[in-house]
Amino acid sequence: MSLKRVVITGIGAVSPLGSDSLEMSQGLEASLSAVQYMEGWDTYKGLRCLVAAPAKAKDEHLIPRQSRRSMGSMSIYSVQAAQEALNDSALPTEILKTGRVGCIIGSTMGGAKSINDVYENMASQRDLTQLTSMKFFQCMSHTAALNVSQYLGINGVVMATSAACASGLQAIGTAYDLIRLGSQDVILCGGAEELHPTVTASFDILFATSTKYNDRPQLTPRPFDANRDGLVCGEGAGIIVIESYEHAMARSAKIHAEIIGYQTCASGLHISQSSKEALASSMRGALAAAQINSKDIDYINAHATATLQGDKEEADAIREIFGDKVPVSSLKGYMGHTLGASGGLELIASLFMMRSGRIYPTKNLENVADDCQGIWHVQKPLKRPLNFILKNAFALGGINASIVLKRLSQ
Amino acid sequence: MIKEEVIKRINKVFEKDFEIDLKRLKPDAQIFNDLGLDSLDIVDLVVALQKEFSVTIRDDARVRNIRTLNDIYDFILLLGEERKKENIKE
Repeated sequence: MSLKRVVITGIGAVSPLGSDSLEMSQGLEASLSAVQYMEGWDTYKGLRCLVAAPAKAKDEHLIPRQSRRSMGSMSIYSVQAAQEALNDSALPTEILKTGRVGCIIGSTMGGAKSINDVYENMASQRDLTQLTSMKFFQCMSHTAALNVSQYLGINGVVMATSAACASGLQAIGTAYDLIRLGSQDVILCGGAEELHPTVTASFDILFATSTKYNDRPQLTPRPFDANRDGLVCGEGAGIIVIESYEHAMARSAKIHAEIIGYQTCASGLHISQSSKEALASSMRGALAAAQINSKDIDYINAHATATLQGDKEEADAIREIFGDKVPVSSLKGYMGHTLGASGGLELIASLFMMRSGRIYPTKNLENVADDCQGIWHVQKPLKRPLNFILKNAFALGGINASIVLKRLSQ
Repeated sequence: MIKEEVIKRINKVFEKDFEIDLKRLKPDAQIFNDLGLDSLDIVDLVVALQKEFSVTIRDDARVRNIRTLNDIYDFILLLGEERKKENIKE
């Protein structure tokens, strides 16, 4: 059986930089930081990171109440991003109900605010009578996927990948595999996440958040920098439409890029620490699947969240495979770490770079840390043809994912 | 409770929780057919009414007979009367 080729034909983004993909690209071009001080977060005892990157979504009331009632903010971002991606793809809406179109959206967990609301009621008052029928739909791990599929009437494969910060890239990789195998013709896929003090707290407890820049939010996070001190949480949704190459060609679709390789793997070593060997294995696996060599890659969009340990391991892994021959940048300095959404949002940003031939530098990278040396850090905008891009996403649990994108001339 | 006050508070629930314009809230409006609520909305309506009037109605069989807004007004007023009688007995 021959595997099908898979192409990206639509993109949609709700991000800290704006309510659609155009606003995100404009924010990146202008080198804006969406990180801000979060009013009220200082009331949480023990929370040291008081900055974050909230999403800028469109008015949620544009979604009818009966569709919106089951949506927390993560699902609202997902629906808005999916609608943009669908519009961009120009897919005929009748195809959504054929069973040949799927929806796979990953996130770390269900809606953080709704989960918190439920437990505030249940734990402090042991009271179920105030819980509405919709809370559980907002709390479920597949809340984004189910809400998008219900809203758009998609009746093919609907599922959610959940591997913390690799969730979004795993969703795209899983969708890629399903289309390659011929199980689906088209899949809306990507990642989503919503911001909440409890989400930042989960990293803060592990000493993984940025805590020294609460009075200067725009200077953090600082991937690969000597003065990096941890990650900053963000939120949003990055959704793409992917389909088989034949399907796209048959309808004369506009093609953003082809996905030619995907790998996901775990370290099996440590629950929170990244492993150079596992990160390298993920990248090597994606290159092998794409049937290209490391020297073919024109740019690496790093995961690099600005944690002390994670950035070092990723730099080590990149150096081992690519040396200092391939430009590398991280986008966390612009939008924070959008966690489950980051795979989708940053892959879309990588498509902008591929289209323009202009690499966004690592924002806030002023002095490369000693432990991140030896790779080609992009510290100012860099023009070059980008025919092959490698996108990484790494997660707690030692879980890694990498995808290779190829530019197609049309 | 005065009927006008009960009507105002119930209508407020419909306006806030179900985003229905006050102009559409006629006493004879059918909750499902005219106001567009469905079975899941009824679960949330019960939660909202319990909170608004500090009553427990989730397992009250009479809820199943409610069809119109006026049925809700009357039901809440009846609960008020029943509570008053209970208080007198005590």
